[in-house]
Amino acid sequence: MTRGYRSPDPAAVSTGVEASEAAGRFVGQSVKRVEDRRLVAGYGQYVDDVRLPGMLHAAFLRSDLARARVRRLDTTAAAGLDGVVAVLTAEDLNHYVDSLRSSVNPPDLAIVPGHVLAPGDVRFVGDPVALVVAEDRYLAEDALELIDIDYEPLAPVVDYEQAAGSPHLVHPELGTNLGASGSGPDPGLARVFESAHLVVTETFHQQRQCNMPMETRGLVAHWQRHAGRLDLWASTQSPHELAFTAARVLQIGEHQVRVHMGDVGGAFGQKVYSGRDEMAVLLAARDLGRAVKWIEDRRENLMASNSARVDRLTVTMAVDADGRILGAEIDHLSDSGAYPLGGAPAKSAQLVSMFPGPYRIPRLGWSTATVFTNTVGRGAYRGPWQMETVGREMMIDLAAQRLGMDPLDFRRRNVIERAELPHTTATGRVYEQISPAETLEQAAEMIGYHSFRAEQAEARARGRLLGLGLSLFIEPTSMGRGALGAEGAVVRVEPDGTVTVSMGTGAHGQSLETTIAQVVADELGVEMERVILRQGDGTPYGFGTGGSRSAVIAGGAARAAASEVRARIGRIAAHLLEAAPEDVIVDRGSAFVAGTPARQVSVAEVADAAYRRPESLPEGVPEGLEHTARYRAPEVTHSNAAHACICEIDSGTGVVRILKYVVSEDCGNMVNPMIVEGQIAGGVVQGVGGALYEWAPYDADGNPRATTLLDYVMPTAAEVPILEHGHVVTPSDTPGGHKGVGEGGAIGAPACVVNAVNDALGPLGIRLSRQPLTPDTIISAIAEAESR
Amino acid sequence: MLAEYGDEAKPLAGGQSLVPMLAMRLARFDHLIDLNNLGELTGVEHTGDGLRIGAMTRQATIGADPLVASHAPLLAMATTHIGHFQIRNRGTVGGSLAHADPAAEYPAVAAALGAKLEVASVRGTRLMEAADFFEGAFATSLDGDELVVAARFPTWDDPSGFAFEEVARREGDFALVGAAVGVGMDTAGIIRRASIAMLGVGGAPVRCTEAETALLGCMAVGGDLDEADIGRLALAGSEPTDDIHASSSYRRRVGAVIVARAVAAAARRAVESSREGCDV
Ligand SMILES: Cc1cc2nc3c(=O)[nH]c(=O)nc-3n(C[C@H](O)[C@H](O)[C@H](O)COP(=O)(O)OP(=O)(O)OC[C@H]3O[C@@H](n4cnc5c(N)ncnc54)[C@H](O)[C@@H]3O)c2cc1C
Repeated sequence: MTRGYRSPDPAAVSTGVEASEAAGRFVGQSVKRVEDRRLVAGYGQYVDDVRLPGMLHAAFLRSDLARARVRRLDTTAAAGLDGVVAVLTAEDLNHYVDSLRSSVNPPDLAIVPGHVLAPGDVRFVGDPVALVVAEDRYLAEDALELIDIDYEPLAPVVDYEQAAGSPHLVHPELGTNLGASGSGPDPGLARVFESAHLVVTETFHQQRQCNMPMETRGLVAHWQRHAGRLDLWASTQSPHELAFTAARVLQIGEHQVRVHMGDVGGAFGQKVYSGRDEMAVLLAARDLGRAVKWIEDRRENLMASNSARVDRLTVTMAVDADGRILGAEIDHLSDSGAYPLGGAPAKSAQLVSMFPGPYRIPRLGWSTATVFTNTVGRGAYRGPWQMETVGREMMIDLAAQRLGMDPLDFRRRNVIERAELPHTTATGRVYEQISPAETLEQAAEMIGYHSFRAEQAEARARGRLLGLGLSLFIEPTSMGRGALGAEGAVVRVEPDGTVTVSMGTGAHGQSLETTIAQVVADELGVEMERVILRQGDGTPYGFGTGGSRSAVIAGGAARAAASEVRARIGRIAAHLLEAAPEDVIVDRGSAFVAGTPARQVSVAEVADAAYRRPESLPEGVPEGLEHTARYRAPEVTHSNAAHACICEIDSGTGVVRILKYVVSEDCGNMVNPMIVEGQIAGGVVQGVGGALYEWAPYDADGNPRATTLLDYVMPTAAEVPILEHGHVVTPSDTPGGHKGVGEGGAIGAPACVVNAVNDALGPLGIRLSRQPLTPDTIISAIAEAESR
Repeated sequence: MLAEYGDEAKPLAGGQSLVPMLAMRLARFDHLIDLNNLGELTGVEHTGDGLRIGAMTRQATIGADPLVASHAPLLAMATTHIGHFQIRNRGTVGGSLAHADPAAEYPAVAAALGAKLEVASVRGTRLMEAADFFEGAFATSLDGDELVVAARFPTWDDPSGFAFEEVARREGDFALVGAAVGVGMDTAGIIRRASIAMLGVGGAPVRCTEAETALLGCMAVGGDLDEADIGRLALAGSEPTDDIHASSSYRRRVGAVIVARAVAAAARRAVESSREGCDV
């Protein structure tokens, strides 16, 4: 284990943290991102940059009512507009698709009905009713206005807390608004609650948020009937999942689908699965036989892509007089919307399983449910289960307050120590290589916990509202089961000695072009700039990028393939140098005999021999220089982190300013510390957004109230604090000792910020449990407290 | 051209409000009349009793103009709150005034300073008081064939002080509520002139006359001036709007805080300006 942290001084960034034992020439170093050369210069290639000859443009007519029967739908005028090629409705497309099942949905799970377009009734504002395909996008949108549609409004189900008991059904086909439910009562808990020193119950709410990638969803589809070939250009996290869907919807072979991947301008979970919109575009492209481009606009992205985080979690926690947690009971309710992305309603299993987090919580009882509503479907969003951390960490602050204990001391008393590992939680998870106690101490030290308490007391005396928040969590990463269980990689040294790595990943901000090149370059002993990553068409099957899985799983595959190629380079070089293979070292692009570096041959010469001079190869070594490997991941790899922040509240305006934010995290050996910190920082910003700014509410009639970026308020550079990062390094037992780190920032930040705000508001007797904490929320709480 | 095409035409200034509306298909016109090449509509001019600012003068230009800083400092203070610098590089004073967004800064400044708008059409030119120009949210008394040519901002006699305060969700967002305040004193430090205009409270900028009157006769600093009281008075009886970003009661309560802060800052600056005056 190594640890270290540094100040946010930008000059310090390149120096990196203390190198871990596993550091190589590239792995472990803060190598600059390969991607940035083109992205920063404006040469990224996104779906909207794709222009094909004769390409058509698609636009959707979307429902502006939450629930209604379509009384009349007349597309004649729209179809007659000059330049309009087709206007498609449910009648034209729906019979092709029987279900919205994705490749990861178990067969027994309730799946929403497979309507590509609204089937005679609409079920949320934004529900696609018709698809216009025209010579350009303007014409397509003009045609939308000519579609004659008449609705008979029906009563919508908007409030998810009332949905289960509502007489109105979101999907009449299902006969219920309950999407999924489950429970795991612990009969022993009742006795614990009866005899405990203190039992605290509180309900926490998280508001509807949107993934908000800079590049919205988009697809260009080109079906060439005579070639029997479908070319797709997509903004996707998962090119193979897209191929799977396309093949299934169009009833063609997966080998006929070519998914071309350019850059992906963000996704955060939104671009794992193909939804109804993508299916409609695929079907239109097949029918028309011409390339069709669909680019979602921002309004559609906000109201019709997916939303996330609509959660209610009630936590009851029992503690003894010394502040030891004795047990907890949780009840979770979430909103799946109408058509959840990925085809299936949200399941809460992960949330329940993670609830104990980094603490000793000997008993846990639980119940969960998710319901359908006439709102946009739920989708994955960076740490989709993070309500467990939101509820647990806020409850811990509340329990500490009720006990009159400092929240840091309370956490110290309950956090799992290294000596206790392996630790099995009440939910059956086994933790082995984690360090929650160490990250807690590091974060407390970095934030200056004790000097802050003195400063806070002094500030309070002068009427200032300063607060400090803490939040700890365990992040389950690289979950490897079912379709997610393994990834493949082809490492190929080209005849000129350059290296191509082909993988089924879908990098969308994770910097895989950099980190995979670091791993492969070290493994092969070549320069990093000689290694490039290829994704999309022609790569080995893999589920793609998401769930903090690429470093461990795809990286594991790349490492395995590269290691085999390296052995082969060694054998060929040994033969060419007339040395024993075990005496040959490959480093910096050349192979030489240990002790006599002058006797050397370059990797390019080895490759040349492998491809172009087969007669010069040693006996038993195959021609060519490439290897395919699949890496089967362990079921899960646990990362952990502690967040701490200090905020100040303007009591006159309710505006919260975050003055300092620190994260101490343990994601095992870091491939690239700078990129790790970038991943954490991005997640923290989203978490700060969820705590203070972002909110996509509906009114009582089911109309979305935030359909532009004027109303959907994202934090910008001006609102985001400078982050300080600390690292504790406990290698995992995967090759390389890495762990995932993609989601943690977003998991830990909301509770950390809310806890800080509640700490600041403490003297006023205010404790908030419903996000977001907008200036309005805070001022109305202050007003209410004054009137008490 | 406006006379010729009537409702089918709309002037295009910086496009920072008009173009988003067109892009979202909230409005559509057969003709856009581009004002961007009309050099005679730009520039800041000193006219003796104040400044005359051409309608097409960019917000960024106004924010950096030394004449504005010395003769209409309130306008300069307000400018930094308008959007982001990219917006201010394009957005114009004429556009801001004509668009009349209830949360925009310039209309409030115009109301606070008692600005006059020069308005022209084929029928001739007229000068309108800011108070008469703004009718409500996105509504002015401009006729369909009229163009705002310039705005005249009067300079206040010294010693005087100004302040612009607002609260927004984020840096650069439209204000939830804000106040533009001017305070003029006599040499004894007693307030003899006061102006308070609020944005984000009503459809049009709101002059808080009762609060202004209450300020008159107070010592600017160190005397009987109770800013919190002035703030409450300014918002008394108002019914601000309710929207996704803030409730009406938020705007009422926080509006009072904002007015109080702006009044305190303006009064302090008035005193500072009188001290500087003595030094010279
Ligand atoms: C992201 C963003 C943030 C913003 N934040 C703020 C903010 O915080 N505060 C703020 O005040 N504004 C803000 N704005 C709006 C911006 O200041 C606009 O520039 C301004 O409201 C309009 O000025 P314009 O020159 O762009 O006018 P345009 O958009 O070109 O025109 C607006 C309207 O005024 C009419 N018009 C323009 N000039 C004249 C004229 N001379 N005579 C008659 N009619 C005319 C047009 O016909 C049109 O109806 C923001 C805009 C954006 C995009």
